[in-house]
Amino acid sequence: MTKNSALTLIIDDEESIRDGCRQVLEKSGYTVITEGNGSDGIKIAREKRPDVVFVDLKMPHISGMEIIEILSKDIEDIVLIVITGYASIVSAVESMKKGAYDYLPKPFTPDQLRAVTQRGLEHRFLKLETKRLREEKEFMERNFITFVSHEMRSPLVTILQYFESLTIISKDCLGQKGLDILDRCYKRTQNLHDLVEHWLDLSRIENGTFFEKKVPLDLFSIINRSVEDLNPLVQRRGLSIQTQLPDKLPEIIGDEESILRVLINVIGNATKYTPDGGIITLSADYDDYYVNISISDSGIGIPQDKLPFIFEPFYRVKGKNDRVKGSGLGLTFCKKIMDAHDGKITAESNEGEGTTIFLNFPR
Amino acid sequence: MKKKILLIDDDQDFLMATKLILEKGGYEVFLAEDGKQGFEMAKSVSPDLAIIDMMMETWSEGFNVVSRLRTSETGKQMPLIMLSAVDLQGPYQSFEPPEDMPSVDMVLHKPIKADDLLKYIDQLLS
Repeated sequence: MTKNSALTLIIDDEESIRDGCRQVLEKSGYTVITEGNGSDGIKIAREKRPDVVFVDLKMPHISGMEIIEILSKDIEDIVLIVITGYASIVSAVESMKKGAYDYLPKPFTPDQLRAVTQRGLEHRFLKLETKRLREEKEFMERNFITFVSHEMRSPLVTILQYFESLTIISKDCLGQKGLDILDRCYKRTQNLHDLVEHWLDLSRIENGTFFEKKVPLDLFSIINRSVEDLNPLVQRRGLSIQTQLPDKLPEIIGDEESILRVLINVIGNATKYTPDGGIITLSADYDDYYVNISISDSGIGIPQDKLPFIFEPFYRVKGKNDRVKGSGLGLTFCKKIMDAHDGKITAESNEGEGTTIFLNFPR
Repeated sequence: MKKKILLIDDDQDFLMATKLILEKGGYEVFLAEDGKQGFEMAKSVSPDLAIIDMMMETWSEGFNVVSRLRTSETGKQMPLIMLSAVDLQGPYQSFEPPEDMPSVDMVLHKPIKADDLLKYIDQLLS
C-alpha cells in the first residue's frame, strides 16, 4: 500500500461533503469512491476493501455508528474515520469504542481532511506491517523447530548409531580403556540428543502443536505405565517404588502421553537422587477440586533456597551430586505440561532426607 | 548360508553404522537409499527380513515401501521392521502404529542399541 494507491471511501448523504472530499483527496493522489447511502456503502467497502473509510454519523436509514460497528467487525485492519456535524465527546467516544480510528468534526478544512487521512493511512500501514512481522516471526519459529528436528537431531542419531556399531565391532581390539572412552562418548552424545529432544518438546508445547487432544483419563493406568516403564532401571539400582493409591481416583481431562512423561520424568529424577537400595513412594488422593499425586524420594534433598528455581530451564542444584546428568529441561517440561493442564507442580524438600514432588490435576 | 537383511534408509551414515552391526550379527546386508531402490532390491535378492526408515524423502516414504512390499509376492510374508527417528509417544519407546498403517512386525526408535537390534531380528527370524 503506497500513498498513491491508497483507496478511500466516503459514505455521506450530503452531496457537497462527498464532492468536497473527493476533490481534496484526489488532488492529493488518492483514489476516491463516494456513496450517499449507508447500506450501499457497506457493500462497496466489503467489495473494494478500501484503506480508509469516512463515515457520516448522521444519515437516514442506517446510522454511521452502525456502519462503523459492522465494518470494523467485517474487515480486518480497516481504518474508519467518523465525520459529523454535531461533534460531541460522547459520540466520539462511542464511535471509537465501536471501532473508529479517528474523528473529523464538520465543518473541516481541506488541510484537516488531508491530515486525518494521512494519519489514518500511517496507522493502517503500521498495523499491516506489525501483522506481517508477527506472521513472519511465527513462520520462522515454526520453521526453526523443523530445522532443529531435522538438522540437529538426525546427525546425533547417526552418531549414536555409529557408536553402537563401533562398540560392537571393536570389542576385541579396543581393550577396556578404549571401550570406556567410547562409552563416555556415547553417554555425552546421548545427553545432547536428550537435550535437543526436550528442547523440541518445549517448543512444541509453546507453539501448541504438542498435544493431540485432551480426553478423560484414568490416572491409575498412567501411574502403572510409568512404574512399569521405569521398572528395569529401578531393579538395576536395587530401588523399590511403593505405591499408596486409593480404591478409586476421579477421571481427569488431559493428554495421556504427556502426563505419562511427566510421571516418568519425576519418578526418573527420584531414582537419580536416591541412593542404591532406597525407596521411592508414589501416592495419590483427591479432594473436591484436585486429584493429587506425590512422588517422594529418600535422596539427598534440595536446599530450601534452591527450591523455587528447580523448574527453571537449565537450573541445576550445584554440589553434592554433580555426577547426576540430565538435560536441565526435564522439570521445565513437566511444569509446562502441568500448566497446559491447568494443574500445578510443586516441591518440598529436606536436605539429607529427601524430596517430594506434588502434582495437582484439576478435576 | 547367511540370512539376508535389506536395509532401506536415505541417511548413508545410518546405513553404514547399522550395516556394521548387522554384519557383526552374522547377516548378509543389502543397502538401499530410497523406497524405489529398496522395493526393487527386495524383489531381486529376496531378503529374509527388511528394515525400513519411516521418513525418507517424504515423511510417508517408509509407509509406501511397506504397502508395496505387502502387496507383492516377495514381501507378503517378509518380517518388516519400521524405524522411526521421531519419538512419537513416550520416551524411547516404540509407538503404536496408526490404524491405517500397513502392517509391520515391529517399530523401533532410532538410535537402536546394537544388542536390542540383533535380539529383535533374531526373534523375528526364528
